[in-house]
Amino acid sequence: MAKKRKWWSGLLVLSLVGVLFTGCSTNNTAGSSTNAPAATTAPAESAAPDATEAPAADAPVDGGTLVTSSFSDIVNINPLLVNDTASGDVAQFVFAKLYNLDREGNVQAEDWSLAAALPEISEDGLTYTVKLKDTAKWSDGQPVVADDVIYTVEMAKNKETGSPLISAFDKVKSVEKVDDHTVMITMSQVYAPFLYALVQEIVPAHVLKDVKPTEMQKNPYGTDPAKTVTSGPWKWTAWKQGESHTLDADPNYWGTVKPHIAQVIYKIYADQNTEVQAIMKGDTDHISAIPVTQVEAVKADGKIDIIQKPGAQYEYVNFNFDGKNFPDGYGLFQGQKTRQAIAHALNRQGMVDNILKGVGALMNAPFLPDTWADPGDAAVNYDYNAETAKKLLAEDGWVADAKDGILVKDGHRFSFELQYNAGNSRREQVAAVIQQNLKDVGIEVKPKAIDFAAWIDQNVTPGKYQALLLAWSLNTPDPDAESIFSSKYFPPAGQNSGWYKNEKLDKLWVDGYSTVDQAKRKEIYKEVGKEISTDLPYVFLYQYGQAIGTGPRVHWAEEDAPEPSLGYGQFFHAIKWWVTE
Amino acid sequence: MTEYLIRRVLQSVLVIFLITILTFLLIHAAPGGPTQVMLAPGLTPEIFEQQAKNLGLDQPIPVQYFHWIGDLLQGDLGYTFKNHIAISDLLWPRIGNTIILMGAAWLVSLLIAIPWGIYNSTKVYGLSDQTASFISYLGFAMPTFWFGILLQQWLSLKLDWFPLSDMHTRGKEDSIADLFMHLVLPVTVLALGFLASYMKYARASMLEVLDQDYIRTARAKGVKERKVVFRHALRNALIPIITILGLDLPILVGGAALTENVFNWPGMGRWFVEMASAREYSALMAVTIVTAVMVVIGNLLADILYVVVDPRVKLGKQGGKAA
Repeated sequence: MAKKRKWWSGLLVLSLVGVLFTGCSTNNTAGSSTNAPAATTAPAESAAPDATEAPAADAPVDGGTLVTSSFSDIVNINPLLVNDTASGDVAQFVFAKLYNLDREGNVQAEDWSLAAALPEISEDGLTYTVKLKDTAKWSDGQPVVADDVIYTVEMAKNKETGSPLISAFDKVKSVEKVDDHTVMITMSQVYAPFLYALVQEIVPAHVLKDVKPTEMQKNPYGTDPAKTVTSGPWKWTAWKQGESHTLDADPNYWGTVKPHIAQVIYKIYADQNTEVQAIMKGDTDHISAIPVTQVEAVKADGKIDIIQKPGAQYEYVNFNFDGKNFPDGYGLFQGQKTRQAIAHALNRQGMVDNILKGVGALMNAPFLPDTWADPGDAAVNYDYNAETAKKLLAEDGWVADAKDGILVKDGHRFSFELQYNAGNSRREQVAAVIQQNLKDVGIEVKPKAIDFAAWIDQNVTPGKYQALLLAWSLNTPDPDAESIFSSKYFPPAGQNSGWYKNEKLDKLWVDGYSTVDQAKRKEIYKEVGKEISTDLPYVFLYQYGQAIGTGPRVHWAEEDAPEPSLGYGQFFHAIKWWVTE
Repeated sequence: MTEYLIRRVLQSVLVIFLITILTFLLIHAAPGGPTQVMLAPGLTPEIFEQQAKNLGLDQPIPVQYFHWIGDLLQGDLGYTFKNHIAISDLLWPRIGNTIILMGAAWLVSLLIAIPWGIYNSTKVYGLSDQTASFISYLGFAMPTFWFGILLQQWLSLKLDWFPLSDMHTRGKEDSIADLFMHLVLPVTVLALGFLASYMKYARASMLEVLDQDYIRTARAKGVKERKVVFRHALRNALIPIITILGLDLPILVGGAALTENVFNWPGMGRWFVEMASAREYSALMAVTIVTAVMVVIGNLLADILYVVVDPRVKLGKQGGKAA
């Protein structure tokens, strides 16, 4: 018996060693044969927007695989339920939208949009007539018709579905079929952002018509590739949970512009660091966000092109106006001058230069810089000036305590807790700067990092905190932000979690979306910018950006380069990209 | 023996049942539910309430628990809340992947550690023993993820000898040779950890036995040293090692989350962490059950192996001599 075991273990070791050597040789050969040509065809022609060299003579080629990566897997790619970045990423490739955005964020009917032309909007701004292309088809060969749009809108606005689209579609009064390829949507009120709501994927009514709204989440549509009928250039062919998605170009795709890339692999890594290593090794070709701390290292490597500019997100410090969150019910942020003093005390430019490494832009209002609603100089810009801050604080009645220098008013110390989510290194650094900046003017800040889920659940949603450091990632380019700043939206049902009330602003937000005339809207948002930057429910910090990285195999014409300022802009015009082996 | 086994299994079922209740309560006590984890800016809490309702998460905790345990008894591990995917579809492939990784690491470390530990016990403080000590300290002290990243930097990114991560090369047919190449780096990292402890145990256990009276007697009788070590000492020295191996069995299934993360190995450990942060109750329960069952099996196997290795150990009606 003992002898037998020895033989077995000896054999096992031998075979393991044997396999090791076989493995070594196979892999090395494979590795060098694929790497060599890639290295020779790696001129700096992958045209980042700021690249000076024009694309080389090589014309687009069909075929090949683009490997992109993420650090989280999808939840559900059913367009009615998409609610997270990874699901949105995959949906981008496999679903066509009614309309698409151009690089400037304007709504367009592109070659790959389902709609044939921009919607006709009635003069009173209440009805939108959408005409579909009569060539559009689902991946099962069925035509894309008016019924699909009607079904999608009705499910989106039905509360029982639990669709995140509800806030964009709940002002729809009715949706009717004009003919097989024309739909008329009637609004219950004029709602200008609705045009952006139409930049939306739709779902096939013929597949889902019998699914109850409450059963939509449990339905395999959106989680089972075999059952998810799509309308885009690529089909969703396989999903290895937690590992990868395979998207194959649909040979029957209806669009006039066909995708060059035959296959897209969407790989899932455990974290961003692993993702960065994978693209540096050449295992992947595209990464949506290189962490700020690693950008320099990736640049030094020289193989990866980096597109880095501010994106559709901004960071802020939110004051809480509900006295219940403070000792003795004494709200520390009631005074307008106090809030303005804090804005002056913070070195926002320093944060942009040192923490964001310059990839950011100061903001004074909730509108992204260089967009049509940017109020520009109409919004108050608070320069970094500790003396001005001290003066304003003194005017508001704050006096330095003789013992420790911390400001005191009516017997209350100016000391508060600043909450943010644990694990976000950018926010950790910013919180430290805020603590130091405010200490310089006599305000004590106690930064507190909390697990994201717990934080949202227990503090942010119910509005229970003193101040928080957070960001908004903007879903659409429309400037309407009523749900964040209007007193109609106090917790728990709304997102005005700081309990901020300003009647003038409450009215301005409504005025802003009650006209579809962009020139009029621009004037209104200028007024919003002025009022909100004076009254300061937030100290608006900066718009920040994520660095998109692409490997040497990926190519595009300059007008099709990724556009970081758009949501999902990392795959902007991917239908026109190509890869070389 | 049979009666003893039955008794042990029944005890274990009860323990597993209690563990499920405790885990279920603990997970529910943690703030943030599955829908909160999905919360993205720009969405109202009402949407999440509706989604939770659609998934039955608005039910009282005992109702949710009994619903789940009812399904489990019918062999149904339940569905994820996030996207309604059968847990069993997610769990079994990952256990398989982890067993491949951990099993290889375990085997490699055993094949090195036991003979080396035994050898060192006969040459205490020799060069080999000192080297082993050094490796042991390294194995204990070095954070596995750091060691993993180090290996990746040098052996994969710089020298291009081994793949960086994953189980298979994309675009290539799955083959054992390819899998083997992907195993080398993570196995090296994990084996170093195992090696350190197994070597220490093997050495210490042998030393203890070699110090016993009957060994001295054997030596005094002029039995050859080789025979003393292998015939007389080894069998007894293996008993405590077997205990450790038995107790380590669940680790083979549970995976090493950090190593799996670094090498993007689609295994249990990494999945468990993901599921924990997503508050996926059904998935966490499934993992708990599987691990609990493995602990029981590990203990039983250790007990059975005692009898094989050392005939003096007899399992009596009182439950035997379980460690």
